[in-house]
Amino acid sequence: MRQALTLLIALGAVLALSLTACKKEENSAGTSGVTDDTVKIGLFVSTTGAYATFGTDTKNGVDLAVEEINATGGIKGKKIDLKFQDTASKPEEGGSAAEKLATQENVLVAMGAVASGISLSAAPVFQRSGIPMVSPSSTNPTVTQQGDQIFRICFLDDFQGASCAVFARKDLKKEKAAILMNQDDAYSTGLAKFFKAKFEALGGTIVKEESFKKDTSEFNTQITNIKNAAPDIIFVPAYYNDVALIGKQFRSQGVDVPLLGGDGWESGKLIPNAGPGTLDGCYFGNHYSQADDREVVKNFVANYKKKYGEAPSSLAALGYDDVYVVKKAIENAGAFDRAKIREALAGLKDFEGVTGKFSIDENRNARKPISMLKIEGEKFNLVRQIQPEEVE
Amino acid sequence: MGRMISILVVALAVVFGVNWFLDSFIDTYVVRVVNLCGISIILAVSLNVINGLCGQFSLGHAGFMAIGAYVSAYFTTTLRYFDEAQAKYVSVEPLLGGQWGFVPALIAGGLAAAVAGAVVGIPTLRLKGDYLAIATLGFGEIVTIMITNFEKIGGANGLPGLPAYSSTFWIYAFVVVVVMFSWYLQRSTFGRALIAIRENELAAEVMGIPASRMKVMAFIYGAFFAGIAGGLLGHLLQTISPATFNFMKSIEVVVMLVLGGLGSMTGAIVGAIVLTALPEALRDVESGIGLPGVRMVVYSLVLILLMIFRPQGVFGQKELSLKLLGRLIPGRRAKDSGGEE
Repeated sequence: MRQALTLLIALGAVLALSLTACKKEENSAGTSGVTDDTVKIGLFVSTTGAYATFGTDTKNGVDLAVEEINATGGIKGKKIDLKFQDTASKPEEGGSAAEKLATQENVLVAMGAVASGISLSAAPVFQRSGIPMVSPSSTNPTVTQQGDQIFRICFLDDFQGASCAVFARKDLKKEKAAILMNQDDAYSTGLAKFFKAKFEALGGTIVKEESFKKDTSEFNTQITNIKNAAPDIIFVPAYYNDVALIGKQFRSQGVDVPLLGGDGWESGKLIPNAGPGTLDGCYFGNHYSQADDREVVKNFVANYKKKYGEAPSSLAALGYDDVYVVKKAIENAGAFDRAKIREALAGLKDFEGVTGKFSIDENRNARKPISMLKIEGEKFNLVRQIQPEEVE
Repeated sequence: MGRMISILVVALAVVFGVNWFLDSFIDTYVVRVVNLCGISIILAVSLNVINGLCGQFSLGHAGFMAIGAYVSAYFTTTLRYFDEAQAKYVSVEPLLGGQWGFVPALIAGGLAAAVAGAVVGIPTLRLKGDYLAIATLGFGEIVTIMITNFEKIGGANGLPGLPAYSSTFWIYAFVVVVVMFSWYLQRSTFGRALIAIRENELAAEVMGIPASRMKVMAFIYGAFFAGIAGGLLGHLLQTISPATFNFMKSIEVVVMLVLGGLGSMTGAIVGAIVLTALPEALRDVESGIGLPGVRMVVYSLVLILLMIFRPQGVFGQKELSLKLLGRLIPGRRAKDSGGEE
C-alpha cells in the first residue's frame, strides 16, 4: 500500500519536474508568428498512415506555392516560413499537431487538414487560440460549423451531387437515371442523396437505385437489375478503384450508357485499372481540370510537373490554392493581424485560383464552380464549369 | 479501507496540484500530450488485467472505447441530425449538461462498455488464444459498423462538438482510480485466481477456480475502464468518429502492454507513456531533419529493436521496484498522515 502511494507521489513529482523546463509562452497580441522578414504559416496533413497519399499531394501543392511566393517577394515583403506537422491519419494527432502549431510554433494562420475527422479535432484548438484555419479539402459540412475561425476552400458534397444532376439533366438531356452507390461510405451515400433530389426536381426519374458493400469486387446482380431498368445514364458516386471494376462489368454485360460520378473518380490509376476504352464517354465532376486554359492553371500544371514529374491531383491544386488564399487574405487585411485576417478571409470575393474563381460565403465555405470532365482515351477533357447559381 | 481512502485523497490532491501547475505554467501542447498519456495509461492498465493478468488475448479494447465515448457524448453533447419524418434538422439537448454532468456521463459510458463486455465475454471467452483474439476483433468491427450506420449520432461522419470537459484533473483522477484498483486487484484473491488461469487454466479449475466466471469478470473490469478512457478521449478531442476507434487503436494498446511487459502494471504505465509521448517528441526531430515520415520510421525502429533485445518487454512480468525509490523520499510517513487530516 505504501508502495502504491509512493508510486503515485513519485509519478506526480516526476511529471511536475520534467515539465518545468517547458515554459508557458503567453500569446502576445494577434501579430504572433511574424518576424522582420518572415511570417510563420502552419500546415497539418497526414503524410503517414491511411491518408498518406492525400496528405503528400496536398503538401506538394503547398510547397510549390510557398516556393513561388518566396521567390517573388513573399507576402507584403515577408517570406513564408512554413511549419509542417504530420497528423499520421489519426484524430488524436490532429489535435496535438494543432496545439503544437498554435502554442509552440505560434503560427499566424494554419492550413489543413484533408480528412474531415482530423480537421474536426484540430478546429477547436485553433478556434480557442484565435488562429484562422483554412482547410483545403475537408468536405464534412460540420467542419466549418466548429467556429468563426474555421474556413474551407473546397466545395461540399451536396453541391457536387446536385451539380451532377444538373449536368445530366440539362447538358446531357438524360431522362432516366440509375444510381449505384457504396452503402458503407458517407461520401457515396451523400452524393447519391443530393443527386437524386436534384434530378427528380428537374423532372427526371430515378429508375433504379442499387448499392454495394465496401470491398466488393463483383457487381453483376446490381448491374443486371440496372440493365433491366433501362436507364440512359448511371450515377456511380464511388472511388476510382470501385469505378474501374464497375465500368468493366457494365461493359461486359453490354450496357453502354454513360456513367457519371464525382471527384472520387480522379486518379491516374482510373484508366489503367479499367482498361483502355472502357470508360470512354463517361463524365465526372472535379475540383479543377488540367485542360483548363486559364493562365493560373497552365502555370500551376507546368510548374508542378517540372518539380515533381507527375500531373497534379485535385488535392495538390487545393493545397496550392490554400496558400494563395492565405496570401490574399493577409494582403487584403493590410496587416499581419489574426483578427483582421479572419475578417479578410470571411469577406474574400472572386479569388482567381486553380480550382476556379471563388468567394467565401457566410458559412465560411467556398462558393465555387465544379468542373465537369469527359473521359476520352487517357484524357479527362473539360466539358464545362457549373456555377453555384445554376444549382440553387 | 480507511487507508485506501486516505491514499486516494492524497493522490487526488497531488493530481489537483499538478493540474493547477500545468494550467498556470505549461503551454497547452505539452498539457495535451500529458493528457493523452493519461488516457493511454487508463487503456493499458485496464487491458493489462485482461491480456496480462488473465492471459486472454483481447483485441476488442477500441470497441469498448467507442461505446464509452458515444454513450458519454450522448449525455453531454447537443445532437443535431436530419429527421426524415419531419424533413428538417433537429437538435436534441444533452441530458447532463454542464461540467457536473461529465463524471456521471463518463461512468454511464463505462457501464455501457462493461455491459457490452459481459455480453461479448460470456460466449467468446470459451474460446482460447488466437480464436479469442479474432472474436474480440470481430466485436470491435461490429461496434464501428453499427455506429457508421446510425445516422442520429453522425454515422460515418462522426459526432463533432463535444464539450471540452476532459481536463488534466479528470483524466488523472481516473488514472489514479484505475491504477489503485488494479494494484489492489493484483494482490487480491481475484487477481491471484486470474494469474492462476493465465499460468494453467486446467490446473486452476482443478484447484476450484471458476475459470469462465473469472475471465468474464476480468473482461467486464477492463471494458469499464476502456469505456471511461473512450469518454475522456472524446471530450479531449471534442470530436469522435467510428474511424477513431478502428482496430488499429486496439493494436496500439496491445503494443503498449507488450512493450512495457505483459502482466506488469508499472510496465503498462511506462509503455503507455513512451508510446504516446515518443511520436510527439519525435516531431522536433522530424522538422529538424526536414524529412516527412522520419518520425514514424524512428518510432517503428524503437519497437523492433526493443522486441529483438528485450522480447519480454521492459519490465517482463515484474513490477517496478519502489523500495529504493521509497528510501529516497524522506518523511514519507509524515506525508501519509497529512493526507488523513
